[in-house]
Amino acid sequence: MTTRGLEERRAEHARYKEDVKKRGKPFFPYAMFHDTVMSLVVVCVIVALAFIWKFTADEGPTDDDSGLLGKLYDEKADPGTTNFVPRPDWYFYFLFYLLRIFKWPDSVILGTVGIPTILLLLLLALPFIDVRRERRPLRRPVAMVAALLTIASMGILTWNGAVAKEPLAAENLLNVPNWAKEQGFADNNDAVEGAKIFAQVGCMNCHTYLGAGTSNLGAPDLSEIGKTSPRGVEGFVTYVADPSQFGNSVMPKFGGPDGLGDENLRLLGIFLQSSGTCEPPSDACPSAGGQ
Amino acid sequence: MANKKKPGLLHKLLDILLYPLTWLEERTSIPGHSGIVGGIKYFLFRKVPGDISWGHTLGSAAFTAFIVQAVTGVILAMYYQPDPDSAYESIRHITDDLTLGWLVRGMHRWGASVFIILLFLHMGRVFLYGAYKYPRELNWIIGVLILVLGMMEGFFGYLLPWDQTAYWATVVGVNLQATGPFVGPFLGPILQGGTEIGSDTLARFYSLHMLVLPGALAGLIGLHLWLVVRVGVTSPPWSADPAGKPRPGPPPPPRAGLVAPGPRGARKR
Repeated sequence: MTTRGLEERRAEHARYKEDVKKRGKPFFPYAMFHDTVMSLVVVCVIVALAFIWKFTADEGPTDDDSGLLGKLYDEKADPGTTNFVPRPDWYFYFLFYLLRIFKWPDSVILGTVGIPTILLLLLLALPFIDVRRERRPLRRPVAMVAALLTIASMGILTWNGAVAKEPLAAENLLNVPNWAKEQGFADNNDAVEGAKIFAQVGCMNCHTYLGAGTSNLGAPDLSEIGKTSPRGVEGFVTYVADPSQFGNSVMPKFGGPDGLGDENLRLLGIFLQSSGTCEPPSDACPSAGGQ
Repeated sequence: MANKKKPGLLHKLLDILLYPLTWLEERTSIPGHSGIVGGIKYFLFRKVPGDISWGHTLGSAAFTAFIVQAVTGVILAMYYQPDPDSAYESIRHITDDLTLGWLVRGMHRWGASVFIILLFLHMGRVFLYGAYKYPRELNWIIGVLILVLGMMEGFFGYLLPWDQTAYWATVVGVNLQATGPFVGPFLGPILQGGTEIGSDTLARFYSLHMLVLPGALAGLIGLHLWLVVRVGVTSPPWSADPAGKPRPGPPPPPRAGLVAPGPRGARKR
């Protein structure tokens, strides 16, 4: 049967070659005309995009996206600041958003490696999965539905990734007094300072805290981390300084020469320890802080 | 080249004018096969199905975008400095100071997106036409590889401006790759050229972005095109008269004879 299928395919292709030879049109000038027009359109579109980019953007780096196609360049890279917005190019948005769906550490590997690998393998194997000779779209319902579902889900993921808003440091900072009140560390100056650091250095680009921040790359919510994690202040400091030591290779290092500095890390640790541990608010939250 | 029957003056002149082509053909052909000139002639004047139209221009459109990337990339490489201390300034210099530098950089920046979009559209067209089926499976696979390499170009090129977005997106990107099983933990340091993203990373990404990947892409595109020419492009499947259609009506597939069974069974497909 397989052999006959193959024979039929070969016969069909032989007929194809014969038909093209007999009734086809020469590539030049017929097909080449279409190709040339299309190529000119492509070049014009690229040039037009460059013009729109240049002439709608403000001069120099700005805080907000300026212009229709964004700014011409951002601030110079500074490994010292960790208040970054990890935003890839648009064709990676779907991956970027996939990582919001899968939480670190249990299933993040699905988002980073699992699903992309499976998709790629399926794509490569397509000609061997869909082996029927039928080419008319309406007679290939399974293939068409699968394609539409793929396009729709990629589109939705890309769109969500595109509109996913990163919180601004200034906005996060406004939350600190509320956190202090809610968590009961208002009297602990170190914890409040730590909270300010937490709000500003980019933690909240991936972590959520009492409903603020964006969940990203599978990072956990930290509202109750002081209660749920047994690390203690010192433990938090070592973890945040170099998460890769603890098997977390997604979170950047905040320690080291380019990091936040020991004092800031200590404050951050106190803040984390104070999170969720002061339910009956007591004086300066003695159960937290640890110092 | 010339018509042997009328060796007129005109033909002699033509022979002289076209001699370089004859010279080239003689030196590039192997017995029984055409050389460069014959190959180009075949490429240009080969027959394609009569019913193909705009849908079939997406591949060459993507190829055009690739050429735009190559040309603008070469120009950018003349001014760009792949070093953390000066990369950002060189990009600013290109954008702000150089004559039309912004245009070249803008075309490269947005041409990348256009290239990716066209690859997706081309792939969608091939899927819709069912053109990945026999005997074009290999070309589908090569096409998927071109898409993957194209996206990798985007990933490695993203760091080069060395601005905040570039830097931190790359930090996250490299960290994510490090979550992979088995090779993951080694991939990060290999990509970064160390434990941190720094000058080694930038040099590495630059080399991958402008030498390794474009070279691989050019090779794959060449192979892709060669297979397109060799195997031929499909008619739109809804065409009234697609090339390769089973012959309708009068001459049915010839039966082998009374005794021998026909090559086709009763079952249609």
